[in-house]
Amino acid sequence: MIIKKPSIFIYTCQADSRILKEICAGIEEEGVFFEVTEQDEEDIDLLAWQAANDSMPGSGIGICRTTAAFQMRGLEKGRNVERCQNPAREQSRKLGADSARAVKKQAFK
Amino acid sequence: MSYIAGVDIGNSTTEVCIGEAGRDGHIHFLASASCRTTGTKGTLANVHGIRTALKQAMESIGRQTDDLSLIRLNEAAPVIGDTAMETLTETIITDSSMIGHNPSTPAGAGQAVGKLLLIENLTYAEQGISYIVAASSAHSYEEVAGLINAASSRITITGLILQADEAVLVENRLQKKIPIIDEVAQIHKLPDGVMAAIEVALPGQAVRMLSNPYGIATLLGLNAEETRTITPIAKSLIGKRSAVVLKTPGGNVRENVLPAGEIYFHTAGLAGASGYAQGLAAPSGEPYPAAPGRRVSSVNLDEGADRIMQALEEAGAIQDISGQPDTNVGNMLSRIRRGMGELDKSEGADIRITDILAVDTLAPVLVSGALAGETCLEKAVGIAAMVRTQKLPMQEIASQLHMELDTEVTVAGVEAVMAAIGALTTPGTMLPLAILDMGGGSTDAALISKDGNVTMTHQAGAGELVSMLIETELGLGDRHIAEQIKKYPLAKVESLYHMRMENGQMSFVEESIDPRFYGRVVLLAEDGLIRIEQDIPMEKIVQVRQEAKRKVFVTNAFRALRRVAPGNNLKNISNVVLVGGSAEDFEIPEMLMEEFASYRIVCGRGNIRGSMGPRNAVATGLVLSYVGEKK
Repeated sequence: MIIKKPSIFIYTCQADSRILKEICAGIEEEGVFFEVTEQDEEDIDLLAWQAANDSMPGSGIGICRTTAAFQMRGLEKGRNVERCQNPAREQSRKLGADSARAVKKQAFK
Repeated sequence: MSYIAGVDIGNSTTEVCIGEAGRDGHIHFLASASCRTTGTKGTLANVHGIRTALKQAMESIGRQTDDLSLIRLNEAAPVIGDTAMETLTETIITDSSMIGHNPSTPAGAGQAVGKLLLIENLTYAEQGISYIVAASSAHSYEEVAGLINAASSRITITGLILQADEAVLVENRLQKKIPIIDEVAQIHKLPDGVMAAIEVALPGQAVRMLSNPYGIATLLGLNAEETRTITPIAKSLIGKRSAVVLKTPGGNVRENVLPAGEIYFHTAGLAGASGYAQGLAAPSGEPYPAAPGRRVSSVNLDEGADRIMQALEEAGAIQDISGQPDTNVGNMLSRIRRGMGELDKSEGADIRITDILAVDTLAPVLVSGALAGETCLEKAVGIAAMVRTQKLPMQEIASQLHMELDTEVTVAGVEAVMAAIGALTTPGTMLPLAILDMGGGSTDAALISKDGNVTMTHQAGAGELVSMLIETELGLGDRHIAEQIKKYPLAKVESLYHMRMENGQMSFVEESIDPRFYGRVVLLAEDGLIRIEQDIPMEKIVQVRQEAKRKVFVTNAFRALRRVAPGNNLKNISNVVLVGGSAEDFEIPEMLMEEFASYRIVCGRGNIRGSMGPRNAVATGLVLSYVGEKK
């Protein structure tokens, strides 16, 4: 039997390392697991949508260079819950925290 | 064929009703409309609202306002309701003696004692002493964790206080686990070198050691006398997820009682009556000398709502109510009185406050001296007052309306009588009948006997007081959202495809719910969801809302009906029809029905003309009474 961890999936494509680090910190502070996978796909909407669909709790993040988007399973592709370009430190943290809060069924920050 | 309009100007809503008078003298009702009252009831500013409502109603039957042949205005009762709120206590933390808050993600669990040490001063720490380290948000989580890991081989660090929301991040990087409190905004106010005790509760629990005076004594090594003085601190930490208590010499939590002032009731006492009502202290240095044949009794605002209402009851027939000059309540009551004075500018206008409704409430107020934005529930009293003048300048509104619309406008009929005529169009009603008109500003009752005699009363306190109570008790700081909480049922959005209603029912949706509502408590309005920004549990909002409605409407329904009932006995009333805007509410009529059931009273929401619900009673009565007058 394969048991999947209830992780948030982060699909990246040449992601800016500072942004990735802050997003991961946001998730970690909320106490939720996450997995980062490098993909060969530049469409940010597709990255986030695919991550949300592949994640067991249905919460996914796509990061392509300096653009990040957060998606939840059930929403159509392109209808990201949050999306930011060149996010500041606080914005990246918030995006990460919100993706974790989606798993915890808590209101977003 | 002629079109007749009835117009009812209320404290918060203006309602119109359009009828067509046939040649046989019968009335056909064609349309009705309502809109917000513009300006204070009974002023020229109302004209704008009246015109909007008339236009709406006429347009719905494809006509212009020019087609109206007669407009009948109600002789609005010359009473206006107003509300105000006063807090009676305030909490002050002196010498930054404690922090008690609920950060969403503290880390670690348990309690620790140590000397406060800023992270910049780690190198000065001595061996053999326990330290609690405080770090501002200028230091990143990696930096904090690194510094503490490096120092912990040399000195003892038992706890950590952070300014940023990074407790879990730091804890995950520490070699030795310690309790960590985060989101302490005013961290720079923490005094360096003072003994402190910190506690983080286990998940799902509240702090246990620091909310117990003996717990604090154990941790900080206090003697019996010191333990007595820190008891208020322990009390204010009950229910918190994390807490810090500092041992500062002057540190304490104090509850101040604010001087709220006295309320004076001026009553028409008999000459030579036995003086003051029993149990009421004679006001010293009476600023309002009692007129001959009048009595004055007084009650202090900080004795609470129950005592105020009891004193009001005991006082008897109220002539006027005033407050002690230069106190909160004095200023409040004179402000209400001044507002009314602007309406009736006639020389020697007789403006009096004839009724008040006081309600006890608790308001979350930011504690002064707080380090992490702590709030404390303070005692407060909400007051609705009823101001009465000789007559409202309705005639002026009528002539203004006549000038603007070039239509005959008359002021006709007393409001309560018109409401009764309108209420009688509810199927299943008959005389004698009591109506309870629950509006925005006042709760009015009228009793129509079999032979058509009407007794009526106006009571302070209605929908607007309920909104104010909801606003303060939930600490919303926004009247608009409080009004919406009053009006609509709640739900919690639990996923993108379902939500749980306040009665526990689940509701699933086809289209995914907007993620903005995810995890939030929302209001189910007619045109979609309304998000509540504050993080308040749904159960708490429901409880505050129902309690506010009960405190105002159940109290007032009994007060009002008892006053009009024959022999002041509720058992002499058989039928009560609820009308007015607040009768439309989704739970108030049911609350009243339950309360009245034990008096064998048939009580229910009116259904004007069998179709309008509890609204439009006065406007309908105005149109109907036209036929009666013609005959």
